[in-house]
Amino acid sequence: MDHSGRRTFLGICLAGLGALAAAAVGWPVFRYLAPSSSREAAGKVVIPEKEIAEGEAKFFEYAGSSAVLVRKKDGSLVALSAVCTHLGCIVQWQKDKQDFLCPCHAGHYSADGIVTAGPPPRPLPKIPFSVAGGNITVG
Amino acid sequence: MKPLKMIADWIDLRIGARDILKKELTGYLLPRNINAWYSLGSVLLFAFALQVLSGILLLIYYVPDADKAFKSVSHIMNEVPFGWLIRMCHAVGSNMMVLALLLHMLSVLFMGSYKRPRELNWLTGFILFTLVQGISLTGYLLPWSQLSFWATTVATNSANAIPVIGPYLVEFLRGGVLVGPPTLGRFFALHVAVIPAGIAALIGAHLFLLKRTGVSTPPFGQQQTSNPWHGDSYHYEDHPGGIPFFPDYSLEDLRAIAIYMACLLAVLFFDPYLFFPKDAFIPANPFVTPSHIKPEWYFLANYQTLKIFPNELIGLSLQGAAMTFLALLPFIDRGPERHPLKRPLFLACSIGGLLLWIGLSIWGHFS
Repeated sequence: MDHSGRRTFLGICLAGLGALAAAAVGWPVFRYLAPSSSREAAGKVVIPEKEIAEGEAKFFEYAGSSAVLVRKKDGSLVALSAVCTHLGCIVQWQKDKQDFLCPCHAGHYSADGIVTAGPPPRPLPKIPFSVAGGNITVG
Repeated sequence: MKPLKMIADWIDLRIGARDILKKELTGYLLPRNINAWYSLGSVLLFAFALQVLSGILLLIYYVPDADKAFKSVSHIMNEVPFGWLIRMCHAVGSNMMVLALLLHMLSVLFMGSYKRPRELNWLTGFILFTLVQGISLTGYLLPWSQLSFWATTVATNSANAIPVIGPYLVEFLRGGVLVGPPTLGRFFALHVAVIPAGIAALIGAHLFLLKRTGVSTPPFGQQQTSNPWHGDSYHYEDHPGGIPFFPDYSLEDLRAIAIYMACLLAVLFFDPYLFFPKDAFIPANPFVTPSHIKPEWYFLANYQTLKIFPNELIGLSLQGAAMTFLALLPFIDRGPERHPLKRPLFLACSIGGLLLWIGLSIWGHFS
């Protein structure tokens, strides 16, 4: 192996070792800083049925984000993400109008999460739930 | 490579970067007989940077509230991915940094590098040493464990021995009559803001002085061992024909840093709780003092001195006198000779002092 070839080889070895060392430091720091919500699987949330009267909504934390459960006037239930699809604000339930208002840019959603007015590009995502034994299990 | 060269040329044209690099790196010559002990300064810079980085990372999850501090540290240790690594790097790193600092000071002491015209280098270094002790003491309280709580109680209580202002000073330090939530707030501010800023400023001054006076020539491996400076005018000690800082001595520095990291990681992986007595794992309880509460190893000699003397004021005064003597050493030991073997009185006193310190520390540990 000639002189310049040896120099290149050593340079590559050194760069490889440097990259390994950077990864050995960088990976723990990245994992340390990574948000905990992305690490946790979405758990189930159990809410007693009697806690939600007709025409009312209940907000709760679900999978590291905000969600809402609505009992419409006809008695049916809907579980939705409470995060506005426009710019991520949390929507508010307007009991008198039976719809959702996003206070940031006046986006309106129906009780089913469908956009009725304003800038939101998509409806509020629906969350699966089941009802059994007087409890609503979300997720 | 061409775009990189273009960027380098563009910057060079504006600020003369290549000139600076040549002057400070390849053109910065060090004495030919320089030894490995001179690398300890670089090791300390690296150790301090590591403390700052790991400290910033800990700030993300640590909660400086007496009700939540212990829980937040437990959360970092047990639940946050690699939290244990960051926290142990910080806790073990602080001990290793003190050890490296002591070795750095001892090497400067034995090679007579503190002598004129480097009195200010020694003085700034000595203030840095007291600041590092301060940052260690204030950091000790933050996990809010039994060890933290009672070690701080004892340490702050020492100020009580100062006549007249002692009791007020203790209350001022603690932010109350006893150690409590206000103490945590004060120590947290000191630990993460005030003292680090002081250390950074002092490091700047220390490096400025090093650059202005030049690196001292070691007293070993050459004919001339006495100090050539006579104090008639400012003199930069250059080393014509010496070895360049880059790449030659930078590699020596890198080797020393690698050895430091190897020691740190060896403790971290093989004996992580070397510096953690069992009281460090129990939340602080202001109503139960654990038995045999001890300070960190570098305060054991101070602790034992206070135990030996029945009067706390005498114990504290002796420590104060010893620290003042050490701080002012370059102004007391003014002879030009720097070789330790040619300074028998100095050698006897420094080895005696060192043995006394080690003896007191061991006594303090087992008492």
